[in-house]
Amino acid sequence: MSILFDTQYLFVRAMKKLLRNPILLFFSLLQPIIFLLLFTQLFSKFSQIPGFPASSYLLFATPGILLQNAFSSAFQSGMSVVEDLNSGYLQKMLTTPVSRSAILLGRLLSDAFRVVVQSLIILALAYFLGASVTTGIAGVILMFLTIAFFGLAWSGISLSLGLRTKRSETVFGIGGFLTFPLLFMSTALTPLSFMPDWMQTVSKLNPISYTVDALRALTLTGFDWATILPAYAVIGFIAVATLGATLYQFRKVIS
Amino acid sequence: MSDIIKVENLVEVYSDGTKAVQDISFVVKEGEFFGFLGPNGAGKTTTIKILTTILRKTAGSVTVAGYDIQAEAQEIRKLIGVESQETAIDADLTGRENLILQGNLQQMHGEILKKRVDELLKLVELDEAADKRAAYYSGGMKKRLDLASALVHKPRLLFLDEPTTGLDPQSRATMWSYLEKLNREEGVTVFLTTQYMEEADRLANRLAILDYGRIVASGTSMELKQEIGADAISLSLEKADVINAGMKEKAKQILTTIKGVGDVRDSDGGLTVYAKNGGFIIPDIVRAFDESKIRLSSINLSSPTLDDVFLKYTGRRIRPEELKKEASSFMMFGRRR
Ligand SMILES: Nc1ncnc2c1ncn2[C@@H]1O[C@H](COP(=O)(O)OP(=O)(O)O)[C@@H](O)[C@H]1O
Ligand SMILES: [Mg+2]
Repeated sequence: MSILFDTQYLFVRAMKKLLRNPILLFFSLLQPIIFLLLFTQLFSKFSQIPGFPASSYLLFATPGILLQNAFSSAFQSGMSVVEDLNSGYLQKMLTTPVSRSAILLGRLLSDAFRVVVQSLIILALAYFLGASVTTGIAGVILMFLTIAFFGLAWSGISLSLGLRTKRSETVFGIGGFLTFPLLFMSTALTPLSFMPDWMQTVSKLNPISYTVDALRALTLTGFDWATILPAYAVIGFIAVATLGATLYQFRKVIS
Repeated sequence: MSDIIKVENLVEVYSDGTKAVQDISFVVKEGEFFGFLGPNGAGKTTTIKILTTILRKTAGSVTVAGYDIQAEAQEIRKLIGVESQETAIDADLTGRENLILQGNLQQMHGEILKKRVDELLKLVELDEAADKRAAYYSGGMKKRLDLASALVHKPRLLFLDEPTTGLDPQSRATMWSYLEKLNREEGVTVFLTTQYMEEADRLANRLAILDYGRIVASGTSMELKQEIGADAISLSLEKADVINAGMKEKAKQILTTIKGVGDVRDSDGGLTVYAKNGGFIIPDIVRAFDESKIRLSSINLSSPTLDDVFLKYTGRRIRPEELKKEASSFMMFGRRR
């Protein structure tokens, strides 16, 4: 099956490119690490407020920081595609018999792999700082699957934007513009009950909240399927929309 | 020889309404070195993109090696090699990795691919720099790597879009000798576009001259030049006289009265005169101009070149431009983009 081989070749290419730009990799990991070190200090007294759902802020915030990381690496995916479009490399690939689907699959799989490895680093650091996951290894694996799935759904936004606008500034700008409001107006870093009423409403509509609640269930309470499954439904819905848009834009580029 | 490329009434209209290719027809025979000569914006890249299956044609029919460009694109992709105008290599990968990946995408693997890559690295003299990242290559090295990557799978038909634009004269000469060797010794059919008439003249067995999306002339370089049938005398008027349009008209009139003068055409700084025996007429021209107080800054006699052919059909000269200076092309040719 040439689609499998082709996907593998392009996955390896994406990995090589990533590892050869260590500065980019460093800075994209730096942000969540700073969040982890700084926020957990800054808000450490939160856990003493009655009604706070975790015994420490670190325990509470780790899932949120993991998602913030997934979110911002997803937005770099579109930039790589813009780079290939503008350098002519994508067009060059299209003059070969390479499987068209493999071009997208290689990209998406490398995004997913990257976000899992970065999450592993962040989780290891959090563990070192005193965080833990009640559901054990099985829970950690499920967390990574959830994060990878979440990353794919958001990669779809940046990929479709990149393919449509062909400008990395646009992808970067929209990504930066979306990150903070989506993150802060969700349950990623603050419990729902601590927010003003209007923000609670926004937070309940925010897809990030669903995913972060699912991860938090795995770290704090256990395999709480009533929280985990809705997250999958929300991510699935986003994935269908964003990857559908990506496929549509990609078809337009390759035809 | 069979036709490896057959293009009939090809039209390309971009979504913004630009008519980049307007009803062109031509054939390229197997084994031929075919040149596509035209200024910036003529439609060369657009034509190549259609022929290499990455741009859908608006109208017309195109077959490559007997395969229909739309229905059988996948078959075509297996037998063509493409070097695009923008030197599309992956700068994060080494030269060798670029070639291996390109081979992989052409469904080659293992020992056979490794051998082929080594062979190509030697051919384009990149064997020493093979394991350096392409980001550190010079412009000439990048072009050579791009050429090599177009050759990995031993294509029957090679497309080259302005392969020497932006290269220094020495790199250009090296590129020319590779291309000649490929065509003569390995029998690869080559379709090359260029803005340089010397390049088309030297390399192409047959060529088509393209302007504003139309083929204005085609044939062997010899045939095209013979159509001019005369020597070309280029006259440059002094600056002040060029600005004074009346003076140019007057000069034209004087020229038509001189015996032996054929065609007279406007060219940038003055006029170009075609005459059977150019050498004999020059003294007459000088004398006549002197009497009428028209000042000449230079006179140049040459046998006709492809540039004269272009001038004959379009009324302009080809002015090659570097790719990056698109703004100036806007002013010179009044074209978009
Ligand atoms: N994607 C595009 N959309 C609209 N117009 C285009 C596009 N690409 C090229 N053109 C226009 O089509 C014409 C031919 O361009 P091109 O084929 O690139 O010429 P050449 O390669 O001979 O310089 C030019 O006027 C150019 O501006
Ligand atoms: Mg071009």
